Amino acid sequence: MVDLSRRNLLHAAAAASLLPGAAHAVEPDSATIGWPSDVTSWDPNLRFTPDAQAIFKAVFDQPLDQDPKLKLVPNLITKWEMAADARSLALEFRDDVTFHDGSKFTAADFRWTFIERTKAGQKLDVAQSMRKLTDIEVLSPTKAVMRFDSPAPTVPVWLAFLGSFVVPKAYMEKVGPEEFAKKPIGTGPYKLVEHQMNARIVLERNDAYWGPKPALKRITIEIIKDPSARVAAVQSGQVDITTAVPVREIARLGAMANLSAELNPVTKVILLQVRNDEGFADQNVRLACHHAIDKVALSKAFYGGAAVPVSVLGVPGSPGYLEDYTLPFNPDLSKQLLVKSGWSVDKPVKIRMATTNGQFPSDYDIARAIVAMWKKVGIEAELEVIEYAKYFELNRGGKLPEATLYTFDNATGDPEIYTGYLLNPKLPFSPWKDMTFGQKVIDQFNVADEKARVAGWRALNREAAEMGACMPLLQSIQTVVRKKALKVTTYGNGWVLPQAMSWG
Amino acid sequence: MILLATLCRRLVSAVPILFVVSILLFIALRILPVDPAAMSMPPNATREEIEAARRSMGLDRPLPEQYAIWLGRALHGDFGRSIQLRRDAGPLVAETLPATIELAAAAMLVASILGVAGGLLLFALRGSTAEMVAETGTTLMMSVPEFLWALLFIFVFGVALQAMPFTGRLDPGMQRPVITGFLLLDALLVRRPDIWWSALVHLVLPAIALGLAFAPPIMRVLRASLLDVYHDDYIRQAHLRGISETRILLRHALKNAILPTLTLMGVQFGFLFGGSLLVEVIYSYPGMGNLMVDAVRNADLPIIQLVGLTYCVVVLVINSLVDGLYLVLNPKLRAR
Repeated sequence: MVDLSRRNLLHAAAAASLLPGAAHAVEPDSATIGWPSDVTSWDPNLRFTPDAQAIFKAVFDQPLDQDPKLKLVPNLITKWEMAADARSLALEFRDDVTFHDGSKFTAADFRWTFIERTKAGQKLDVAQSMRKLTDIEVLSPTKAVMRFDSPAPTVPVWLAFLGSFVVPKAYMEKVGPEEFAKKPIGTGPYKLVEHQMNARIVLERNDAYWGPKPALKRITIEIIKDPSARVAAVQSGQVDITTAVPVREIARLGAMANLSAELNPVTKVILLQVRNDEGFADQNVRLACHHAIDKVALSKAFYGGAAVPVSVLGVPGSPGYLEDYTLPFNPDLSKQLLVKSGWSVDKPVKIRMATTNGQFPSDYDIARAIVAMWKKVGIEAELEVIEYAKYFELNRGGKLPEATLYTFDNATGDPEIYTGYLLNPKLPFSPWKDMTFGQKVIDQFNVADEKARVAGWRALNREAAEMGACMPLLQSIQTVVRKKALKVTTYGNGWVLPQAMSWG
Repeated sequence: MILLATLCRRLVSAVPILFVVSILLFIALRILPVDPAAMSMPPNATREEIEAARRSMGLDRPLPEQYAIWLGRALHGDFGRSIQLRRDAGPLVAETLPATIELAAAAMLVASILGVAGGLLLFALRGSTAEMVAETGTTLMMSVPEFLWALLFIFVFGVALQAMPFTGRLDPGMQRPVITGFLLLDALLVRRPDIWWSALVHLVLPAIALGLAFAPPIMRVLRASLLDVYHDDYIRQAHLRGISETRILLRHALKNAILPTLTLMGVQFGFLFGGSLLVEVIYSYPGMGNLMVDAVRNADLPIIQLVGLTYCVVVLVINSLVDGLYLVLNPKLRAR
């Protein structure tokens, strides 16, 4: 029986009066975000989900953080010192941090998050990033030492990367990981109020937050997977900000009086992953392929010219990137290289190429354009479409074709996570299986000295480009459309953080 | 009593169908060229770790043995764990099912109202020029797929007119009451007319988008049935008795003509249930279709399997109910 009390009638009347613009009302201390994907689990250590990183960062804290220019900065950890041999990392923590239930954060929570959970048999992706970790010695509530079985110079970077979010030991032990995922608590600037799978996440400001208080009290994240629906939602005002809208919509939306539309370069790289055998056993053919790709034209055609052409694995401004090195677009050189190996336009070399369709903006169109560019110089590529999920499986079975259009996100910008992952024959990212070069990549993981480490990766980047071991194409871009009055900090890795939003 | 017996008979006969469907689904999913073990591990997992995961998931065993294990567990309510979400598949599907049923029922209501009204209109216009126009209209309605209607409505009613919400099930700021999962019902149970109204308004566009394509077949079948019925003696006699045309149509002819339409509606509900996939994604509607799309994208086999089975169960149950309804409305069948 419906209660028709005056209060409920007023509720209904209020709802009805808001009907045309029910979601349009802008409260000064709240915002609605249109987000393209959902959080798979609220256990932040469980799975590496790059798209959920920004949402996790609202609820949980990472031991270290990155500033908008991606520099590593203190967070829960105030000081960190890597030993000269990179086999231990001394840490000091803040003393004024509490979880959302009011319990105090200590080094024991850090130890629980990164080693005890794994030792207890919980299958967590974070264990993969902490493979070398053997122990965390807790010296006091605010001091700890991480110990590794081999040099682990990038652990500080990983402490600000995927899966590295501190969870409360006492609460999790009490309720168990399954219940924790239903009612998660962290130390972050927002508390989770509601999550309806594939629909909505509601966050409310944590007024006891140790750091800068977020300007917005309430954040509603609408999960809108369809790009056209996201465009419609921001255009109609049903959300205040959204990301990952089609590039072609940016100019139109940007021209609207109340909207601001941006194309921001991010740490994601678009590249061709290549094999070192079959049609690509010949270095001349590989380099001919690379020189035949007009990256500027690709950027103009598919990303409005905003995607920066790159020649090595990395993005401008990242430590491993070579600002002074370019592998130029030179179709004549391509033809010459092919002639050296006995190929020509009349007698083209035949290779296979794979691409995803819809995994990232314009992927299939880019692949088709590359095939057309190759044809002009004497390379005939047979294009096949694969599901992104099959990339690793095909690679493990040695079934990827000579070239595969691929995208790789590395929010940290660290060269190990670009070159070390993309060209390590032992990891499933790389179809390049030649151990002569591969061993150099593997050895580079163990270089402890920071300067030597970065220099080593830069040298390997150049060598890889010169031998055609990979073909970096473009620095990817992120599209953001927001109401002009909503201010948001732009991060170099594409984070759109609720705590960095305010109404101007 | 006859009705109950018929329903029971139908439901019992559904069991072997369900069993066969489960085998077909199981085989189809296992021969897909995807590796669920690899999908369950982070990208930087080693080959050895993936092999260990494969063993722990039982994927190294022969297919019949894998099926027997799955069936044994399924009979105890354990449908496996989602590879992507790492949660039990059963509760996940149960969580999303009410939203899809609510959407499909609303869409069926739209299709039925439009279908019956349109069928009556088509019949009334028979032989006129307007009939041709109306026929063209129904062809157009059928030709446009539901996802296109969905996008069209968003741009017309959401963006251009800004008259209707088109994301999720509720306005931001409203918290969903969780009792049965059927939001319209839950809002009434917690005595919140504002939530009920918001849920209803959010249901309008997806329900119309989904239901629109299913209305024309109902119109056509009803029109054809009415044409048949109008040749019967009792209609002729009703005319001779001077009963008004409207009364003959609504009180006498429609009652008999609706029976084949009812069967069609039952069949359509199954299609409509399956057709909700894209509409749910476009409208950010948190139903089973949305879950299924993600599962397919991530090769989440336990979820795909359970959602597939659930579709099958829903279709079987609806068919049984329609058979029962047919029995209630058709005295000839009861007499047999």
